[in-house]
Amino acid sequence: MNDLAITALLILALFAILGSGVWIGLALSGAAWLAMQLFSSRPAGDAMAVTIWGSASSWTLTALPLFIWMGEILFRTRLSSDMFKGLSPWVQALPGRLLHTNVVGCAIFAAVSGSSAATCATIGKMTLPELRRRGYPDDIAIGSLAGAGTLGLLIPPSIIMIVYGVSADVSIAELFIAGVLPGVMLALLFSGYLMFWAWRHPAQVPPADAPMSMVAKLRASGSLIPVLLLIGAVLGSIYAGVATATEAAAVGVLGALILSAAQGSLSWPSFRDALLGGTRLYCMIALILAGASFLTLAMGYLGLPRHLAEWIAGLGLPAWGLLMALTLFYIVLGCFLDGISMVVLTMGVILPTVLKAGIDPLWFGIFVVLVVEMAQITPPVGFNLFVLQGMTQREIGYIARVALPFFLLMLAALALIYFVPDIVTYLPRRMRGG
Amino acid sequence: MRSLLNALYDAAAALAALCMVGLLLIVLGGVAGRQLGFYLPGSDAYAGYLMAACGFLALAHTLKRGEHIRVTLLMNALRGGQRRALELFALMVASLLALIAAFYSARLVWQSWSFQDISTLNDATPLWLPQLSMAIGNAVLAIALLDDLQLEWRGQRTGSADAGDALHNE
Repeated sequence: MNDLAITALLILALFAILGSGVWIGLALSGAAWLAMQLFSSRPAGDAMAVTIWGSASSWTLTALPLFIWMGEILFRTRLSSDMFKGLSPWVQALPGRLLHTNVVGCAIFAAVSGSSAATCATIGKMTLPELRRRGYPDDIAIGSLAGAGTLGLLIPPSIIMIVYGVSADVSIAELFIAGVLPGVMLALLFSGYLMFWAWRHPAQVPPADAPMSMVAKLRASGSLIPVLLLIGAVLGSIYAGVATATEAAAVGVLGALILSAAQGSLSWPSFRDALLGGTRLYCMIALILAGASFLTLAMGYLGLPRHLAEWIAGLGLPAWGLLMALTLFYIVLGCFLDGISMVVLTMGVILPTVLKAGIDPLWFGIFVVLVVEMAQITPPVGFNLFVLQGMTQREIGYIARVALPFFLLMLAALALIYFVPDIVTYLPRRMRGG
Repeated sequence: MRSLLNALYDAAAALAALCMVGLLLIVLGGVAGRQLGFYLPGSDAYAGYLMAACGFLALAHTLKRGEHIRVTLLMNALRGGQRRALELFALMVASLLALIAAFYSARLVWQSWSFQDISTLNDATPLWLPQLSMAIGNAVLAIALLDDLQLEWRGQRTGSADAGDALHNE
């Protein structure tokens, strides 16, 4: 049987199992099992157990559960109301006024949380009702939250970066630092668009709140200082090279516990809920990672990644052509799959092609994260859409439509990092001391 | 029987949560050790084992809370009998796969034990011990899936296919 037929059969089998509603991690290992039984002589079961054990107990992954736990602790604090109260006095003067609390709030929370859905939920919990009460139009309030929530992926710590780093064998610490400038850039693009929108629709921007004295402003923002310290401790220690990503995550969990104790929101029920919530979320991802590691092994046995790399190299596609094709591919895939599954499912196959085209795997990591961000707000499957649907009771289609300008801004960000790769690579180079 | 099964899932989840706490303490211990000048040999490997145990032991509990993700596009488009048939099919496939995983991870434990496999890292742990978490976790997952299958079969299963519930994912 030739390669093409095998590949087609595998993809078909995988999508049939996935589509029938089998849990994603199990579906991946099922497709891998099928592939190994049919097309390889190695006993599939033993290979599965050894591979899954190896990937599930690998030290590089240990940052993942800890960062997840840290996010779950902070999610259960008063951070969301503190964030709105602390930021709103400062953004009043900008065109677009309080709409910027969405962008700035998400950018700050993204720096302590690795998840875009958690970022979206934490910030939106406070900003959406407050913005609505003041008369900001729903379209732009919900759209900007949907877009800015995805910063949770790009601004470190980031769950998806850890997943990419482990599957592509790229340093997680460097990926984190590489995400900082693109994250800030994207936040600026979002804020810039809000200003542009306010300039075009001056009648729709409600009046500013009563002005506050400088002292009152500072007092309102005082509650944000511990968060900023936590961000500094986690990212600073990684950048300075004094801590690995895992160690920074452990310190982050400790810091989050202290912060929540200082706020008075730490109790046995809240501790237990955060711990169990974090355990479940990690477990959900671990099941996908386990299935994907086995599938990657099976595809390696069949030589699929190598053949694909050779085939694409044979096409003589320029790097930008390859990247455009991949962007399109991921956007389409993102309509059906969540980001983590997308990354682990494709990395084993696509990475050899990307490396062969001479693309820096670190840069490619940020590229993938940006594309996955876009997938978060494409219907019908996008976690930020689900979160916002739960919060606003609006149709997924409506939320996707109001988020569209932000989707286009992310496309612009992709173009920017393509033409100016230094946005991604400058800080990691500095970190390495080069 | 019902309460016994629920106790099994909850006990495994509690153990998983303890492993998460253990993971935190080990990593923090490593950080403190570097500041204070002591060294915990093999702590990287132990961190990995605890992480694995945390993930595997929580599998069934996470399933029962509906937090494992799945593609529900087709499922949500169907109604009544067709939907139930698809749900039964998905549960059967998943149960089968979980049974396979449970069998082969138990076999891996047995192999590691009979060959006396020792970790190649500097912790030198006999590997069957940490691998036990994978065998137990997968076995409990298989039980939970079979449990769901029989509940669905008898029309007693509540709250399934709730992807919208995945609030903090990613």
